[in-house]
Amino acid sequence: MMTATPVVETRGLVKRYGDHVAVAGMDLVVGPGEIYGLVGPNGAGKTTTMKILATLLAPTAGEAYVTGIPVDADPIEVRRRIGYMPDFYGVYDDLKVWEYLDFFARCYGVPANRRGPMIGELLSIVGLEEKRTDYVEALSRGMRQRLCLAHTLVHDPALLILDEPASGLDPRARVEMREILRELRGMGKTILVSSHILPELAEMCTGVAIIDHGRLLRSGSIHEIERSLRATALLRVEILGDETLRTAAADFLRTDSRVGDVLDAAPDRGGVIRLEAAFDGDGDAQADLLRKMIEAGHRVVGFSQATSDLEEIFLKVTGQTDEEAAA
Amino acid sequence: MTATSATFGGTRRSALREFGASVVTIMVKELRSRMRGRRAFIVLTVYLAILALITYGVYATVAPAARGGGFAPGMGGGGANASALIGQTIFSVLSIFQLILVCFIAPAFTAGQISMEREKQTLDLLISTPMRPGAIVIGKLAAALAFVVLMIVAAIPITAIVLMYGGASPDDIVRQQIVLLATALALGALGLFFSALLKRTQAATVLTYISLLALTLGTTMLFIFWSVVMNQDGGGGGFGRQDRAPEQLMYINPVVGMLDVVSNTEPGGFGAITGVLAQLRGEEFNFGGGMQCNGNVCVAVDQFGNVIEDAESASGYWWPRVSITFVVLSVLLTLASMRLVVPTGMRWAFTRPRRRHALLTPSPGVTVDSGAEGTPTIEELGSDAPPPEKPAP
Repeated sequence: MMTATPVVETRGLVKRYGDHVAVAGMDLVVGPGEIYGLVGPNGAGKTTTMKILATLLAPTAGEAYVTGIPVDADPIEVRRRIGYMPDFYGVYDDLKVWEYLDFFARCYGVPANRRGPMIGELLSIVGLEEKRTDYVEALSRGMRQRLCLAHTLVHDPALLILDEPASGLDPRARVEMREILRELRGMGKTILVSSHILPELAEMCTGVAIIDHGRLLRSGSIHEIERSLRATALLRVEILGDETLRTAAADFLRTDSRVGDVLDAAPDRGGVIRLEAAFDGDGDAQADLLRKMIEAGHRVVGFSQATSDLEEIFLKVTGQTDEEAAA
Repeated sequence: MTATSATFGGTRRSALREFGASVVTIMVKELRSRMRGRRAFIVLTVYLAILALITYGVYATVAPAARGGGFAPGMGGGGANASALIGQTIFSVLSIFQLILVCFIAPAFTAGQISMEREKQTLDLLISTPMRPGAIVIGKLAAALAFVVLMIVAAIPITAIVLMYGGASPDDIVRQQIVLLATALALGALGLFFSALLKRTQAATVLTYISLLALTLGTTMLFIFWSVVMNQDGGGGGFGRQDRAPEQLMYINPVVGMLDVVSNTEPGGFGAITGVLAQLRGEEFNFGGGMQCNGNVCVAVDQFGNVIEDAESASGYWWPRVSITFVVLSVLLTLASMRLVVPTGMRWAFTRPRRRHALLTPSPGVTVDSGAEGTPTIEELGSDAPPPEKPAP
């Protein structure tokens, strides 16, 4: 893919099931080589969106393209370009591991002379070389997940659509899955991956779309999303002193117009008061506030923006819609 | 790169080859899991053992009576006739039994083919490959039938025993095979159809066997009932003539097809089965006197003992009709199954792609639609009814 054609593009994508709107006008653009995360609570429309892209569902309205090919007009051609891993799937457990991959390679029309070596490569990518002649039945859940991931790769697709690839895995298997995805990205694959857990994706995704109720709420890199939520950044201030200084310090913070609520944070520890303040301002404004505090004679030993918890971002973003909806 | 040109430039022939390759892919996979282990071996062995036992049982029952000469009136005792009688009886019983076994086995192999994939959630993986749904369906049917065909063909040597005794010719065996294969094909396609139609294998299996009953007992009872009703309505056109239900009703009855094959082996081409089959067609065969045989020559006689000179055997009428009907039925059922395998949301998407392109270019009609639905109201968004991520499991 030398051209700048986005690997995934949807415009005003809508999917209805009767009265229920599963996807309500989704605009997504995923460029080549990205690992793009779809994050949202259960029922947000992630799976529906992915199924439409995987040509298993026809959109009610709107358009969806994979490498520029419309999914509803030319599903067969789209399928040649994608590897799809559903959130719930079964495996043919009466086949051996290599037969399983061989079967899917045949399904995708991979020529016989390429199948053998390719299966070896795939098994080594997902770390199942040892299991080549075992029955699929005998694999653990994490191994099956990796086998299913390997099956999406048999035809060397441009795009991988992975629906909750880490769900139901133990922490170790999750880490392994993440490593594999990084490796695949290194191989130049574009990956569309979904999760209802933002932090799981944050570390490896180049872009994230937070969706809820079938709508795209925020999209961009994790940093961009964080910045867009900066309005309510949380400042953590540590001041040397005893209890008597606490109220003074809190009052001083409140004098700044950009400061919202001031909260008592963790209990004092060895003569250090901790305060947390909701702050509406950028880095400049923060530096400004710090300078003023020091000039006012507060002995500041710690001043930081609380590393925003991704869970918090997520709740905040999805929470906003609930408020909007309630309004 | 717009892939459209690359792939649709391919000739029809390469598309056909691709289709064939997909069918083989599915077959290989199905046979790999089906033929592995002891199951297939045991099923085949048990099947052949049952047929062999039946053959022996028939022989043991018929042979002494036939040799003794008192088995059938008019049959000369001993010699060639006894041998032919043994052969004919074995052939008849074997044919009917094989038919019954095939009727039960063929659907059993196909009734789970698609629904099982749904239940085990493997269908999405399969459908999201570029294989045509038609290739998936045909591959599955072919794999299931391959084993049934193996069973039918493996039983030929047992059936061929009758050639030793006489009473049935190689032609009869060929006809028997055709009816068996057509039946296996139709019932296999029927099972596959229900498997594609229904979500649960259990439901598909039950419906398949109910249909089997409808094809055999159902058609027979309907035929009789229909004929009776027609005659009660005063339609009975004079003495000795009865109105009947349309004979086409019996084209879907595999038993009629097989009885027809069997009837051809009845001495001289006439007998009880021939009579019954003839009645289905409303032909009056007056064999009141049954058969009279002298050596190998049998003639039909009426109740007064007069030889019916121009009596023409009625056998050979049903089996080609039943077989052809079954083949047509299989094609229709297979086509329907292909349609059903395509995910619900995409069923229309398998028309010719090119036309679709034209339709898809943003036309006012389409955009109006999206405009109306693209902006859900706040009530819709706010409703806390759990949104089904999946289209109903």
